Amino acid sequence: MESQIQQIHQKLVDKEISCVDLIQEKLSALKENTYNTVNSLLTELALDRAAKVDAKIANGDTIGLLEGIPFGIKDVYMLQGTYATASSDLLKNYKSAYTATAIQKLLDAGAIPVVKENCDSFGHGSSSENTIFGAVKNATNPELVGGGSSGGSAVNVAKDYTVFSIGGDTGGSVRQPAGYNNVYGLKPTYGRISRYGLMAYASSTDCVGPIAKSAEDIRIVLNAMSGKDTKDQTTYPSEAIKQESILNTASIKTVGYFKNFVENEAIDASIKTDFLMSIEKIKSKGIQVKELDFFKSDILVSTYYTLAMAETASNLSRLDGTNYGDRIDDKDLKESYAITRSEKFSEETKRRIVGGNQVLSQGFSDEIYLKGLALRDAISENFEKDFNEVDIILSPVTPNTPPKIGDSLKAPLTMYLSDAYTVGFSLGQLPTLTVPQGTETGLQVTAAKNNDELVLKFANFLKDTI
Amino acid sequence: MSKIMTVDVLSSIKGAQPSEAVSKLFDVIKNAQTANNAPNNNHNNSVSLNNLRDDVVIESSALEKQIIKDNFPKEKNGYLVVSKVIDA
Repeated sequence: MESQIQQIHQKLVDKEISCVDLIQEKLSALKENTYNTVNSLLTELALDRAAKVDAKIANGDTIGLLEGIPFGIKDVYMLQGTYATASSDLLKNYKSAYTATAIQKLLDAGAIPVVKENCDSFGHGSSSENTIFGAVKNATNPELVGGGSSGGSAVNVAKDYTVFSIGGDTGGSVRQPAGYNNVYGLKPTYGRISRYGLMAYASSTDCVGPIAKSAEDIRIVLNAMSGKDTKDQTTYPSEAIKQESILNTASIKTVGYFKNFVENEAIDASIKTDFLMSIEKIKSKGIQVKELDFFKSDILVSTYYTLAMAETASNLSRLDGTNYGDRIDDKDLKESYAITRSEKFSEETKRRIVGGNQVLSQGFSDEIYLKGLALRDAISENFEKDFNEVDIILSPVTPNTPPKIGDSLKAPLTMYLSDAYTVGFSLGQLPTLTVPQGTETGLQVTAAKNNDELVLKFANFLKDTI
Repeated sequence: MSKIMTVDVLSSIKGAQPSEAVSKLFDVIKNAQTANNAPNNNHNNSVSLNNLRDDVVIESSALEKQIIKDNFPKEKNGYLVVSKVIDA
């Protein structure tokens, strides 16, 4: 299996490269890059940790698999003493007071953080243009968007500036940029990885998600970050996924796909053709393929955005410039709150906060918010029924290829609708992985809750099949 | 105070107005058919009472306390300065 982590680990152990040289090479490449992927470099921290890894190797000590491996962090995670801006004007000078659990676990395993990565501000966007650090450019064609919200993370992996990166996925923010830049990106089952230290967007679907160049590297990083954490009470205990278990793909018998996803007029013709061709290749391997019924795309998108906006309006109410962030003083406290939030939030963030407060307010909550919750339950029940019939649900990642930089900011509704294939699985809290195969923006592999292992197993099967 | 609070007041964002793009999303929800409008809570993530974390005070490290102070927007003569809290 093409694991970059394994390869670099071996080179470090064999003393073919020094860790300091490796980290310096990545830092230089990040510094010089023109894709706008970097919010801040972690030069001092990274080189200090690299020197310690080199000292250990020189001393003849054994090093762990992740020890010395350079990785990137979406700029919505806390890493003590480093900037955590959420790509926003409000938090542009904010420093993390503590470290997120997921990141701490990677540090404990010896991995080396090299960069805080550009993204849509507070995760609000699908193109990584809603940022004060400049629009992230696509790794293949710099005139196109890098995708979002974890755009900087996906591009860094695609360009080999990082070996893996840690994105965040609320409605597709790891899977869609992974698809746009031809890399792997996993949204694990909700609760598998602690959200402690990840800035909250929509707490009921926020997930920590790794981005890498192989399913094997996704497995390694997922195992390192997973587990119950008392600081996030929605986490659950999980067992490590073994390499052997994802290599044996014989247990997958049935695959389903939503026929309304591909019979939709909004889907790009080549993505549709390529997807159906992938289905035929899977059938030719003796796997049974079933067409499934699902909710219409506009209902999925509207349900997701209604609930996500309600949650983000609540989560971001704490950002008022009182205790941290940039504050603009006015005549009294209330006015200071209002002017700070008006001036320091982006248009897209304000749009979502206002939408969230609309649906939570009296007169709207029954008609929209509570109905959205009921729809979410119906969507989850639909998934439970489907996974009694199929092992895996396969879908395209996006209906279209990446838009040009500048187009999404002009048409927010079009941007929301571009999330049609990712948001349903987020509402279902299911494990779902983008693999860079099958269509121009990849394929999305989804399994039942807590079955992250099966998702990785099927990714291996696809590697040999398509 | 008026009984009706507008979205700009609710959101603490000056001049905020509902957006057309978001209203279109809400219209889809309003018109959607659901078998039951009340959420049935089957899929909520709840924590059992036996599984709640201990209610203990954890002392922050000196570094954490210092960073929290550094993040405070305004400081004067060693004091952290807040906005005037008197309602105009």
